[in-house]
Amino acid sequence: MNWATIIFYSFIIFAAVSALSMLLVKNVFYAALLLIACLLSVAGIFVLGNAEFLAATQIMIYAGGVLVLIIFGLMLTAKISGKPLHVGHQNVIPGSMVALAFFSVLIYSYANLILAIPSGIQQGGNSVNKIGILLMTDFVLPFEVSGILLLTSLIGAAITASSFSSKK
Amino acid sequence: MNGSQSILLLSAFLFSTGLLIVFIKRNAIMILLGIELMFNSANLNLIAFNTSRPQLPDGQIFALFIIIVAVCEAAVGIAIILKAYHYYHSAIPDQVSELKEKN
Amino acid sequence: MTAHLAQDSIVLYAALAALLLPLLSFAFSFLVFNRYSWIISIIAPVLLFLCFLSACFVLLHVSKEMPFHFQMSWFTVGDNEITWGLLLDTRATLMMVVVSSISLLVHLYSAGYMAGDSNIQRYFAMLGFFTFSMMGIVMADSLLMLFCFWELVGFSSYQLIGFWNERPSAAAAATKAFIVNRIGDAGFLVGILILWTYSGSLTIQEMSIADIPSFYLTVAGICIFSGVIGKSAQFPLFTWLPDAMQGPTPVSALIHAATMVAAGVFLLVRIYFLFTPDVLMLIAIVGAITSIIGAIGALLQFDIKKILAYSTISQLGLMIMGIGAGNSLASELHLYTHAFFKAGLFLCAGSIIHVLNQASREKTLDVQDIRKMGGLAKRMPVTYLAFLIMAAGLAGIPLSAGFLSKDAILTGLLQGEIIFLIIGFGISGLTVIYTIRLLWFTFHAKDSLPQFIQKEQIGDPAPIMKIITLTLAAASLWLMISWNPIDFNGWTSQYAQGKILINSSVITVASAIMILLISLAAYLYFRDKTLSEKTSDIMLNNFGFDSLYNKIVVMPMLKLSNRIQTLDQKWIDGLLHLTAYSQVAIAHFMSWWDRSVIDGSVNGLAIVAKGTGSITRSFSSGKIQTYILWSMLGLIIFIVWIMF
Repeated sequence: MNWATIIFYSFIIFAAVSALSMLLVKNVFYAALLLIACLLSVAGIFVLGNAEFLAATQIMIYAGGVLVLIIFGLMLTAKISGKPLHVGHQNVIPGSMVALAFFSVLIYSYANLILAIPSGIQQGGNSVNKIGILLMTDFVLPFEVSGILLLTSLIGAAITASSFSSKK
Repeated sequence: MNGSQSILLLSAFLFSTGLLIVFIKRNAIMILLGIELMFNSANLNLIAFNTSRPQLPDGQIFALFIIIVAVCEAAVGIAIILKAYHYYHSAIPDQVSELKEKN
Repeated sequence: MTAHLAQDSIVLYAALAALLLPLLSFAFSFLVFNRYSWIISIIAPVLLFLCFLSACFVLLHVSKEMPFHFQMSWFTVGDNEITWGLLLDTRATLMMVVVSSISLLVHLYSAGYMAGDSNIQRYFAMLGFFTFSMMGIVMADSLLMLFCFWELVGFSSYQLIGFWNERPSAAAAATKAFIVNRIGDAGFLVGILILWTYSGSLTIQEMSIADIPSFYLTVAGICIFSGVIGKSAQFPLFTWLPDAMQGPTPVSALIHAATMVAAGVFLLVRIYFLFTPDVLMLIAIVGAITSIIGAIGALLQFDIKKILAYSTISQLGLMIMGIGAGNSLASELHLYTHAFFKAGLFLCAGSIIHVLNQASREKTLDVQDIRKMGGLAKRMPVTYLAFLIMAAGLAGIPLSAGFLSKDAILTGLLQGEIIFLIIGFGISGLTVIYTIRLLWFTFHAKDSLPQFIQKEQIGDPAPIMKIITLTLAAASLWLMISWNPIDFNGWTSQYAQGKILINSSVITVASAIMILLISLAAYLYFRDKTLSEKTSDIMLNNFGFDSLYNKIVVMPMLKLSNRIQTLDQKWIDGLLHLTAYSQVAIAHFMSWWDRSVIDGSVNGLAIVAKGTGSITRSFSSGKIQTYILWSMLGLIIFIVWIMF
């Protein structure tokens, strides 16, 4: 039992707990903050899984960009009267049954899986270098296409969110 | 249970939790949060499988692209939610039920 | 028209006239206007006189050897032809003369007695109808026709007894008479049917030659005798006769002294050949009991008419005992003499009652109570004379016709059991006693009339009534039977059919001495007595037979009919109600069934379709999260299916 293992398992537990709490809190703002916590712990797991570049990208873009955007949207669409950020539950029982079904299906499909994984943490070398080279050589098509995707979604979101006089 | 398997377990857990959030919560933004959670669980899955072959970072690149897509989707989603909120004056998806037959 | 042994058609016409003239009188009385109702009291006697003449005519033309028989077909039932006809042998013709003459005399008497009565038309009508029915009984040749007229006689006597129908006691007495008669008549009809079955015919002549098995003959004889018990007031059906005194006195004279009660005796004499020795013994016993009861009753009553009624019962019993144990010809003779003197006694009683009623006017007085009379001999001499002569006839004092006929009966009883002879002598003695009692207290005793009557001038009644009573008195003398005052084998018995009796001088002398001695003794006994004011109520009320019958027969009958009535109301009507209600209930149920089940099932189908539709429609509820839920569920199922 070395430090790495403990940190690894604590990240895992932290991610699970925060995800669970996201389910249980009634305040949307708290849920968003809990999601940030979850994302950060997931990033920590990425680091421990030899994916440092991904972890950094996760923190910068996901936690720093997307969640901030979400919080903006949250505040803009809050209720005027009553508790502004309070949400209720519905469809609890059918939903939980379906989710449980999914969970069990996934667990079941992992259970017979034998991964030839060397336990512990491995040093894999400088992955940023490798990722850069691969992006320009093997994965250049998805790279360019994702660029176009980003462009179009940017334009689309901007237009959609702007307040034209409605053509309804 | 070794590390990868516990990561897989976590990802399954996160995925079902995200699904449950999508089903249960009565707020459109919460649905987006759930969707983000599901994306993250997919990323975790990729990274978990990537640890068995540390030489090729295919898993990472794929996960990168997933993050890009997630960003686009979140942006567009927020835009739509804002527009819907502006029209219906409510952030609860159940209120947006004009597709339902009036019986 | 088939006339067997027909003599002349004149005889037929005369007989039919005798039968139908009283019916004509009956019809006439409805034509008379109310204002001229006194006319009927002239017309009716005239018609009856013509009837009497026709009867005498028939009498002269029918002899013993050649009876007149006339028969006609009445109706046919299947193979059986029912006939009606007239059989006029000497018995019938004698009876015809007796009936018509007494009826004529009563008609004349009633003209005086009932003068001023408001319903006089109905009175003469029913009197005529009664005479018609009685003639029918006498002349009938078949038992069926006789039974029809028997019933008609019962009906007309019901009408006449209850003539003063505003009096409830009269109506009750009439009903009682009718019903008691009917009880006997039921047995009579059964007897007729038995005879018809076994002899194949209803006519008397054919029955006399038919061969009927003796058991059924006995049964039929008993049944027919039951009819006689009812009609002639024998034990146990005698209770109606004392109550029948509620009717007017001429009615009592006609019906209850002379004719109707005599019809029974006449019937027995007519079909005497049918009776087996067992039946004759029964007849004699019943007659004996009846005569004893009647004599004791006459001895204890206080009402003139009731005394005479009980006396009639006793004399009828004597006649019937004579038929059963002795000679039928003797009873026939006594029937004729009894008719005359008893009718006359009743009419004399009627005179007394009439006079006392007129004298008392508004003041209430029981004019029939002999304790309140006395000393009338001086006041009503003519009535007294007539009464005396006829009482002698009743008692059987020598030199009267009654003596001769009673002597004949006693002689006839010689050939039967000795007990009946002793009873016969006993009855004769009792008859003397009660007759003298009646005579004494009505006419001779110390004057017990109330004060207000004594001041009035009471005398003999109207001339017409006097004449009639004297005529009847004359008819009670010995000349009616024979020229010889001590031999009953005179011209009457020579004329009539039947076994001739030889006069037994022993009996004659014995009875004569007994009667004279007893009458002397009674006179001496009653001379110093006053009648006590009370006797036990049982004796006065028909010896308690009425209450006995009431308890045994009437009450259970009423209870039974009440039960049946409640049964009918509860169960039968209840059943009807039940079916009606159940029908309504079924109708309601059917409508409910139709409404709820049949319509309901159709509605239910629609509801099921609608429900199913809405359930399946709920998938597209318009809610995003529900869509996601269902699609995820489908995906799960798909994955699971793929995996396994």
